[in-house]
Amino acid sequence: MISCTEFIPAYSELFKYLEAKGDIEAVDDFWNYLSDEFLGNLRDLVLQHGLRGCWLYWNHTLNEEAADFTMSIDDEAGEFRIDMHYCPSMGRLMSTKHIVPYHDYCRHCDVLYRRVLEPLGFDAVSDRTECHRAKCSFVVRPKK
Amino acid sequence: MPKEVIHRTASDNKYLHKDFHGALSVGLDYLQRHYGDESVRDYLRQFARSFYAPLTDALGRRGLVALAEHFEKVYADESAQVRISLSDDELRIDVEACPAVMHMREHGYTVAPLFHETTRTVNEAICEGTPFAAELLDFDPATGRGTQRFFRRKP
Repeated sequence: MISCTEFIPAYSELFKYLEAKGDIEAVDDFWNYLSDEFLGNLRDLVLQHGLRGCWLYWNHTLNEEAADFTMSIDDEAGEFRIDMHYCPSMGRLMSTKHIVPYHDYCRHCDVLYRRVLEPLGFDAVSDRTECHRAKCSFVVRPKK
Repeated sequence: MPKEVIHRTASDNKYLHKDFHGALSVGLDYLQRHYGDESVRDYLRQFARSFYAPLTDALGRRGLVALAEHFEKVYADESAQVRISLSDDELRIDVEACPAVMHMREHGYTVAPLFHETTRTVNEAICEGTPFAAELLDFDPATGRGTQRFFRRKP
Protein backbone atom coordinates (compact mmCIF):
# COMPACT_ATOMS: atom_id res chain seq x y z
CA MET A 1 0.00 0.00 0.00
CA ILE A 2 1.13 3.48 -0.78
CA SER A 3 0.49 5.50 2.36
CA CYS A 4 -1.67 8.60 2.01
CA THR A 5 1.38 10.44 3.39
CA GLU A 6 3.24 9.32 0.25
CA PHE A 7 0.47 10.26 -2.16
CA ILE A 8 1.85 13.63 -3.27
CA PRO A 9 5.04 12.19 -4.81
CA ALA A 10 2.87 9.50 -6.45
CA TYR A 11 0.58 12.20 -7.82
CA SER A 12 3.51 14.23 -9.15
CA GLU A 13 4.92 11.11 -10.81
CA LEU A 14 1.54 10.39 -12.41
CA PHE A 15 1.58 13.81 -14.06
CA LYS A 16 5.06 13.08 -15.41
CA TYR A 17 3.94 9.67 -16.66
CA LEU A 18 0.92 11.15 -18.45
CA GLU A 19 2.95 13.91 -20.06
CA ALA A 20 5.44 11.33 -21.34
CA LYS A 21 2.54 9.27 -22.73
CA GLY A 22 1.05 12.20 -24.58
CA ASP A 23 1.79 15.81 -23.81
CA ILE A 24 0.54 18.53 -21.50
CA GLU A 25 -2.91 18.01 -22.96
CA ALA A 26 -2.88 14.45 -21.58
CA VAL A 27 -2.21 15.88 -18.12
CA ASP A 28 -4.97 18.46 -18.47
CA ASP A 29 -7.39 15.77 -19.63
CA PHE A 30 -6.67 13.83 -16.45
CA TRP A 31 -7.05 16.88 -14.23
CA ASN A 32 -10.43 17.60 -15.81
CA TYR A 33 -11.45 13.97 -15.23
CA LEU A 34 -10.24 14.08 -11.63
CA SER A 35 -12.18 17.28 -11.01
CA ASP A 36 -15.35 15.75 -12.39
CA GLU A 37 -14.95 12.41 -10.61
CA PHE A 38 -13.38 13.35 -7.31
CA LEU A 39 -14.56 16.82 -6.28
CA GLY A 40 -18.25 16.05 -5.91
CA ASN A 41 -18.00 16.95 -2.22
CA LEU A 42 -16.81 20.50 -3.04
CA ARG A 43 -19.51 20.81 -5.69
CA ASP A 44 -22.22 19.63 -3.26
CA LEU A 45 -21.07 21.96 -0.48
CA VAL A 46 -21.03 25.01 -2.75
CA LEU A 47 -24.43 24.10 -4.23
CA GLN A 48 -25.84 23.82 -0.72
CA HIS A 49 -24.04 26.66 1.06
CA GLY A 50 -22.82 28.99 -1.68
CA LEU A 51 -19.47 30.68 -1.01
CA ARG A 52 -19.46 29.24 2.51
CA GLY A 53 -19.24 25.79 0.95
CA CYS A 54 -15.65 26.70 0.06
CA TRP A 55 -14.95 27.48 3.71
CA LEU A 56 -16.41 24.14 4.81
CA TYR A 57 -14.51 22.17 2.17
CA TRP A 58 -11.07 23.67 2.71
CA ASN A 59 -11.46 23.85 6.48
CA HIS A 60 -11.55 20.04 6.34
CA THR A 61 -8.89 19.34 3.72
CA LEU A 62 -6.27 21.93 4.70
CA ASN A 63 -6.36 20.85 8.34
CA GLU A 64 -5.94 17.17 7.42
CA GLU A 65 -3.08 18.16 5.11
CA ALA A 66 -1.42 20.03 7.99
CA ALA A 67 -1.06 23.12 5.86
CA ASP A 68 0.37 26.44 7.03
CA PHE A 69 -2.33 28.81 5.89
CA THR A 70 -4.69 31.69 6.57
CA MET A 71 -8.24 31.28 5.35
CA SER A 72 -10.95 33.93 5.42
CA ILE A 73 -14.52 34.39 4.35
CA ASP A 74 -16.38 37.69 4.12
CA ASP A 75 -19.99 36.95 3.28
CA GLU A 76 -20.94 40.62 2.92
CA ALA A 77 -18.08 41.45 0.60
CA GLY A 78 -18.51 38.11 -1.15
CA GLU A 79 -14.98 36.83 -0.88
CA PHE A 80 -13.38 33.55 0.18
CA ARG A 81 -9.61 33.57 0.33
CA ILE A 82 -6.79 31.15 1.09
CA ASP A 83 -3.27 32.43 1.65
CA MET A 84 -1.04 29.39 1.61
CA HIS A 85 2.09 30.31 3.56
CA TYR A 86 3.68 26.89 3.05
CA CYS A 87 1.91 24.33 0.90
CA PRO A 88 2.31 20.85 2.41
CA SER A 89 2.25 19.24 -1.02
CA MET A 90 4.78 21.42 -2.81
CA GLY A 91 6.76 21.60 0.41
CA ARG A 92 7.01 17.82 0.52
CA LEU A 93 8.06 17.61 -3.10
CA MET A 94 10.74 20.24 -2.58
CA SER A 95 12.08 18.66 0.59
CA THR A 96 12.27 15.14 -0.88
CA LYS A 97 15.65 15.67 -2.45
CA HIS A 98 15.90 12.44 -4.40
CA ILE A 99 12.84 13.15 -6.58
CA VAL A 100 12.12 15.83 -9.17
CA PRO A 101 8.62 17.32 -8.92
CA TYR A 102 6.45 17.56 -12.04
CA HIS A 103 7.42 20.87 -13.66
CA ASP A 104 3.89 22.31 -13.57
CA TYR A 105 2.68 20.63 -10.40
CA CYS A 106 0.95 23.63 -8.83
CA ARG A 107 -1.30 24.29 -11.81
CA HIS A 108 -3.46 21.27 -10.98
CA CYS A 109 -5.16 23.15 -8.12
CA ASP A 110 -6.18 25.96 -10.44
CA VAL A 111 -7.56 23.56 -13.07
CA LEU A 112 -9.37 21.26 -10.64
CA TYR A 113 -11.08 23.91 -8.55
CA ARG A 114 -11.96 26.41 -11.28
CA ARG A 115 -13.67 23.62 -13.17
CA VAL A 116 -15.99 23.05 -10.20
CA LEU A 117 -16.55 26.66 -9.15
CA GLU A 118 -16.98 28.58 -12.40
CA PRO A 119 -20.08 26.67 -13.60
CA LEU A 120 -21.61 27.33 -10.17
CA GLY A 121 -21.34 31.10 -10.67
CA PHE A 122 -18.00 31.93 -9.07
CA ASP A 123 -14.74 33.40 -10.27
CA ALA A 124 -11.72 31.56 -8.88
CA VAL A 125 -8.32 33.19 -9.20
CA SER A 126 -5.04 31.71 -8.08
CA ASP A 127 -1.69 33.46 -7.75
CA ARG A 128 1.08 30.92 -8.31
CA THR A 129 3.94 33.36 -8.76
CA GLU A 130 5.61 32.09 -5.57
CA CYS A 131 4.92 28.38 -6.09
CA HIS A 132 8.66 27.72 -6.12
CA ARG A 133 8.58 28.74 -2.44
CA ALA A 134 5.47 26.60 -1.76
CA LYS A 135 3.39 29.78 -1.42
CA CYS A 136 0.25 30.72 -3.29
CA SER A 137 -3.15 32.33 -2.86
CA PHE A 138 -6.61 31.43 -4.05
CA VAL A 139 -9.60 33.79 -4.11
CA VAL A 140 -13.22 32.92 -4.89
CA ARG A 141 -15.89 35.56 -5.53
CA PRO A 142 -19.40 35.41 -6.99
CA LYS A 143 -19.36 36.38 -10.66
CA LYS A 144 -20.63 39.90 -11.31
CA MET B 1 -22.18 37.03 9.29
CA PRO B 2 -18.98 38.96 10.14
CA LYS B 3 -15.74 38.16 8.40
CA GLU B 4 -14.15 34.97 9.71
CA VAL B 5 -10.45 34.22 9.62
CA ILE B 6 -8.52 31.15 10.69
CA HIS B 7 -4.79 30.65 10.73
CA ARG B 8 -3.06 27.31 11.10
CA THR B 9 0.55 26.24 11.07
CA ALA B 10 1.79 22.82 9.98
CA SER B 11 2.38 21.76 13.59
CA ASP B 12 -1.28 22.35 14.51
CA ASN B 13 -2.40 19.18 12.75
CA LYS B 14 -1.21 15.67 11.95
CA TYR B 15 -0.54 15.12 8.25
CA LEU B 16 -3.03 12.41 7.41
CA HIS B 17 -5.46 13.11 4.58
CA LYS B 18 -6.93 9.71 3.77
CA ASP B 19 -9.00 11.08 0.88
CA PHE B 20 -5.72 10.99 -1.04
CA HIS B 21 -6.26 7.22 -1.36
CA GLY B 22 -9.39 8.02 -3.34
CA ALA B 23 -7.51 10.42 -5.62
CA LEU B 24 -4.85 7.79 -6.31
CA SER B 25 -7.56 5.26 -7.08
CA VAL B 26 -9.15 7.67 -9.60
CA GLY B 27 -5.72 8.05 -11.20
CA LEU B 28 -5.24 4.29 -11.54
CA ASP B 29 -8.74 3.88 -12.92
CA TYR B 30 -8.07 6.65 -15.46
CA LEU B 31 -4.82 5.06 -16.58
CA GLN B 32 -6.44 1.67 -17.02
CA ARG B 33 -9.38 3.06 -19.01
CA HIS B 34 -7.29 5.30 -21.28
CA TYR B 35 -3.98 3.47 -21.61
CA GLY B 36 -4.62 -0.15 -20.58
CA ASP B 37 -3.79 -2.42 -17.65
CA GLU B 38 -0.04 -2.46 -18.22
CA SER B 39 0.13 1.34 -17.98
CA VAL B 40 -1.03 1.08 -14.35
CA ARG B 41 1.85 -1.25 -13.55
CA ASP B 42 4.32 0.82 -15.63
CA TYR B 43 3.39 3.97 -13.76
CA LEU B 44 3.59 2.33 -10.34
CA ARG B 45 7.00 0.84 -11.18
CA GLN B 46 8.24 4.26 -12.33
CA PHE B 47 6.97 5.86 -9.12
CA ALA B 48 8.37 3.14 -6.85
CA ARG B 49 11.80 3.09 -8.49
CA SER B 50 12.05 6.84 -8.01
CA PHE B 51 10.39 7.51 -4.67
CA TYR B 52 11.42 4.36 -2.81
CA ALA B 53 15.02 4.39 -4.08
CA PRO B 54 16.37 5.08 -0.55
CA LEU B 55 14.27 2.18 0.80
CA THR B 56 15.59 -0.15 -1.92
CA ASP B 57 19.08 0.96 -1.01
CA ALA B 58 18.42 0.27 2.68
CA LEU B 59 16.97 -3.14 1.83
CA GLY B 60 20.17 -4.02 0.00
CA ARG B 61 22.38 -2.78 2.85
CA ARG B 62 20.39 -3.77 5.95
CA GLY B 63 18.14 -6.56 4.73
CA LEU B 64 14.47 -7.13 5.45
CA VAL B 65 14.54 -5.22 8.73
CA ALA B 66 14.57 -2.02 6.65
CA LEU B 67 11.30 -3.01 5.02
CA ALA B 68 9.81 -4.12 8.33
CA GLU B 69 10.53 -0.70 9.84
CA HIS B 70 9.06 1.05 6.82
CA PHE B 71 5.81 -0.91 6.87
CA GLU B 72 5.45 -0.72 10.65
CA LYS B 73 5.45 3.06 10.33
CA VAL B 74 3.16 3.16 7.27
CA TYR B 75 0.50 0.97 8.86
CA ALA B 76 0.82 2.59 12.28
CA ASP B 77 0.30 6.05 10.75
CA GLU B 78 -2.90 4.82 9.17
CA SER B 79 -4.03 2.92 12.31
CA ALA B 80 -4.17 -0.41 10.49
CA GLN B 81 -4.30 -3.83 12.11
CA VAL B 82 -1.32 -5.78 10.81
CA ARG B 83 0.84 -8.66 11.91
CA ILE B 84 4.47 -8.40 10.83
CA SER B 85 6.73 -11.46 11.11
CA LEU B 86 10.41 -11.06 10.35
CA SER B 87 13.26 -13.52 9.99
CA ASP B 88 16.60 -13.16 8.19
CA ASP B 89 15.16 -14.53 4.96
CA GLU B 90 11.49 -13.67 5.10
CA LEU B 91 9.19 -10.82 6.00
CA ARG B 92 5.49 -11.52 6.11
CA ILE B 93 2.83 -8.83 6.53
CA ASP B 94 -0.72 -9.90 7.25
CA VAL B 95 -3.08 -6.96 6.83
CA GLU B 96 -6.43 -7.38 8.53
CA ALA B 97 -8.05 -4.64 6.46
CA CYS B 98 -6.25 -2.22 4.14
CA PRO B 99 -6.77 1.32 5.49
CA ALA B 100 -6.84 2.71 1.95
CA VAL B 101 -9.54 0.33 0.74
CA MET B 102 -11.58 0.71 3.91
CA HIS B 103 -11.46 4.50 3.75
CA MET B 104 -12.58 4.47 0.12
CA ARG B 105 -15.39 1.99 0.84
CA GLU B 106 -16.58 4.03 3.82
CA HIS B 107 -16.60 7.30 1.89
CA GLY B 108 -18.11 6.04 -1.34
CA TYR B 109 -15.01 6.32 -3.51
CA THR B 110 -14.57 3.86 -6.33
CA VAL B 111 -11.81 1.36 -5.65
CA ALA B 112 -9.89 0.93 -8.90
CA PRO B 113 -9.94 -2.66 -10.22
CA LEU B 114 -6.13 -2.68 -10.19
CA PHE B 115 -5.73 -1.00 -6.81
CA HIS B 116 -3.95 -4.11 -5.47
CA GLU B 117 -1.06 -3.21 -7.80
CA THR B 118 -0.21 -0.41 -5.35
CA THR B 119 0.95 -3.28 -3.17
CA ARG B 120 2.07 -5.99 -5.63
CA THR B 121 3.84 -3.94 -8.28
CA VAL B 122 5.23 -1.42 -5.81
CA ASN B 123 6.64 -4.13 -3.53
CA GLU B 124 8.21 -5.92 -6.49
CA ALA B 125 9.78 -2.66 -7.70
CA ILE B 126 11.17 -1.89 -4.25
CA CYS B 127 12.99 -5.25 -4.31
CA GLU B 128 14.56 -4.78 -7.77
CA GLY B 129 18.34 -4.99 -7.68
CA THR B 130 18.39 -6.49 -4.18
CA PRO B 131 18.78 -10.11 -3.02
CA PHE B 132 15.06 -10.08 -2.16
CA ALA B 133 11.76 -10.56 -3.99
CA ALA B 134 8.13 -9.85 -3.15
CA GLU B 135 4.81 -11.50 -3.72
CA LEU B 136 1.23 -10.68 -2.85
CA LEU B 137 -0.17 -13.96 -1.59
CA ASP B 138 -3.78 -12.87 -1.40
CA PHE B 139 -5.85 -9.71 -1.53
CA ASP B 140 -9.55 -9.24 -0.87
CA PRO B 141 -10.80 -6.34 -3.03
CA ALA B 142 -13.70 -5.71 -0.64
CA THR B 143 -11.55 -4.97 2.41
CA GLY B 144 -7.95 -5.05 1.25
CA ARG B 145 -7.29 -7.90 3.66
CA GLY B 146 -4.24 -9.70 2.40
CA THR B 147 -0.78 -11.10 2.91
CA GLN B 148 2.47 -9.72 1.53
CA ARG B 149 5.63 -11.78 1.54
CA PHE B 150 9.21 -10.66 0.97
CA PHE B 151 11.84 -13.34 0.75
CA ARG B 152 15.46 -13.94 -0.18
CA ARG B 153 15.80 -15.01 -3.81
CA LYS B 154 17.29 -18.42 -4.40
CA PRO B 155 20.72 -18.20 -6.03
